[in-house]
Amino acid sequence: MEKRALKPEFRRTVLVVDDEAINREMLGALVEDTYDVIYAANGREALEIIEDHRETLSLVLLDLMMPEMNGYEVLDRMHSDPALRRIPVIVLTSEKQAEIKSLQLGASDFIPKPYDNPDVMLARINRSIELAEDASIIQNTSVEDLTGLYKKSFFFEYCRQFDLHNPGAAMDAITININRFRLVNEITGRAAADAVLAEIGRAILEELKGSAGLACHPVSDVFFIYREHLDDMHGLLERITEHVRRVSQSSWVHLRMGVYSNVDRDMVIDSRFDRASLACDAAKHRYGDPVVFYDDRMHEDQMLAGRLVEDFEEAVRQGQFIVYYQPKYNIQRSEPALSSAEALVRWKHPELGMVSPGVFIPLFEENGLIMKLDRFVWESAVSQMASWKREHGYSIPVSINISRIDLYDPDLEAELTGLVEKYGIDTADLYLEITESAYTDDSRQLVESVTRLRSCGFKIEMDDFGSGYSSLNMLTRLPIDVLKLDMKFVNNLSDDPKGIKMIELIMDIAKYLGLIAVAEGVETAEQVAILKKAGVDIVQGYYFSKPIPGGEFEELLTSRAAGAGGRS
Amino acid sequence: MLTLDALREYGADVDEGLMRCMNNEAFYLRLVKMAVADNDMEALGQALQAGDLGRAFECAHSLKGVAANLSLTPIYGPVSEMTELLRSRSEADYSGLYDKAAAALKDLTALCAE
Repeated sequence: MEKRALKPEFRRTVLVVDDEAINREMLGALVEDTYDVIYAANGREALEIIEDHRETLSLVLLDLMMPEMNGYEVLDRMHSDPALRRIPVIVLTSEKQAEIKSLQLGASDFIPKPYDNPDVMLARINRSIELAEDASIIQNTSVEDLTGLYKKSFFFEYCRQFDLHNPGAAMDAITININRFRLVNEITGRAAADAVLAEIGRAILEELKGSAGLACHPVSDVFFIYREHLDDMHGLLERITEHVRRVSQSSWVHLRMGVYSNVDRDMVIDSRFDRASLACDAAKHRYGDPVVFYDDRMHEDQMLAGRLVEDFEEAVRQGQFIVYYQPKYNIQRSEPALSSAEALVRWKHPELGMVSPGVFIPLFEENGLIMKLDRFVWESAVSQMASWKREHGYSIPVSINISRIDLYDPDLEAELTGLVEKYGIDTADLYLEITESAYTDDSRQLVESVTRLRSCGFKIEMDDFGSGYSSLNMLTRLPIDVLKLDMKFVNNLSDDPKGIKMIELIMDIAKYLGLIAVAEGVETAEQVAILKKAGVDIVQGYYFSKPIPGGEFEELLTSRAAGAGGRS
Repeated sequence: MLTLDALREYGADVDEGLMRCMNNEAFYLRLVKMAVADNDMEALGQALQAGDLGRAFECAHSLKGVAANLSLTPIYGPVSEMTELLRSRSEADYSGLYDKAAAALKDLTALCAE
């Protein structure tokens, strides 16, 4: 007799349910060599035993016609309880017409009574247990405990299966993120954050009930949903957010959502979620609306970004990057006088034409290429300064931009002083523009780094002042020489008396701290007048000049009127 | 004492019944004796007499299941026929079939008592 279809690491338990003692005994005798056996004489007893042994029960042999509670009801109750659903049930009855209903109610097998051959019977019992255990293993490896959602690789595979079985269905790929999750994780602790993730999983599963779809928790605060097309994505996000806030009492939870609606079914699943995630990233920067739909422009932007990164090295080699100089003017004299310049990089792409720095700089900041680009700009600018000095005798201060990531470079100081020495310019003529938000990032380390640079003799210019969150208190302790006002202060000048007042206040602070004040983005004579009156020393902007190539700037230098040579 | 031969002579499909009991003769015979001691047949008679066809169906169904498992063909035949009639609650005359089944059980009881 075949008994060993299953590995005998432990004895599994089988429940025999039949109201007739003789039938129970016969079935018991059949399985008792292989399994531990428990008996129940009716459905009610059976259900109690099943509940008590929910973790350990391997199979139920179930008669249908019984007093108290019949077999159908047992099947029904088991099927509606996820914890009991995993236990396979073989229905044994002389009611041959009961087969369909039994299987519909979740029975894994149906054997008519009287069964013919005990060996066949036992083999079918073994097989049902094996199948259920395999399914349970797959379930356990494919589903994450914390959220109850699929793990990534299984999710993508199930999406493919879903597509195969639902050709032509309009589907949406959705990515959900938690805003500032890392910060929240640190503040509230791991356990609270995990509880939130678990509730998001539960809310998503709840939302998927009754609609075709599946979901996944691939990593940290990222959730994927693949579901039949839905119009009201805001409603979906609101319901999930509301559930999570209520159940986990976490009012700090703010979710954002990226939607790739009506996915292209020819595209691989991973790419569909790349699109949804791209939209979700865009939602991070879009205040007010937490739901962003993917559109082709996003795709184009992404493709462009990919291409620019790809083309970077070649562009450096071929000299496609060119340094332009935007003149700065001292407006506190009777006539505005050219005082200095800011070195700005331009990219003359052989196929794309002039690429906006607004496009490539954030991109290179993200992936670190900016370090290489910065060094190219620094050297170009310093070499240009040396050339002006050599050929025309002019020492004109030039500002170069120092990216946040450069400040973490332990060799920064040596690189910059090396450049100055190599080209023989005056250290004090090199201004280092560092954006305000860099100081708030990881202030101690960065402030130390900037302090060292300043002690080398470089002038430090705080860029974008007023755009971030630097405190006034901090301003008194920072190693800076120049305060460069954020453009938006200038933009607000003409139509807003409060804007003027704000500039005056900043000027008071600058004066008090002994800082030179620079305004950029200046476009009109009216703005110049206001800034002059407020006491701003230096201005930069299209009103005077756009950024120009070194050659043009040189002409400007050589033609500047009497009184030139002004230093900022 | 009840024997396999006696059961064969009685009309039971002994080989089939034995097979279901993993060819354990003592076990099979013990189950047959349990069937004899059961009072389902009596209950079926009472239900029929009272005209409770639902209850009668349940009793006949149980009897049929046990008789089938043990291959007690003389009992299984009439009981199975009755079960099918009772399933649709047919207002048939069940006395003939019932008497036949009851007589078969009585014979088996007598065998057991020997």
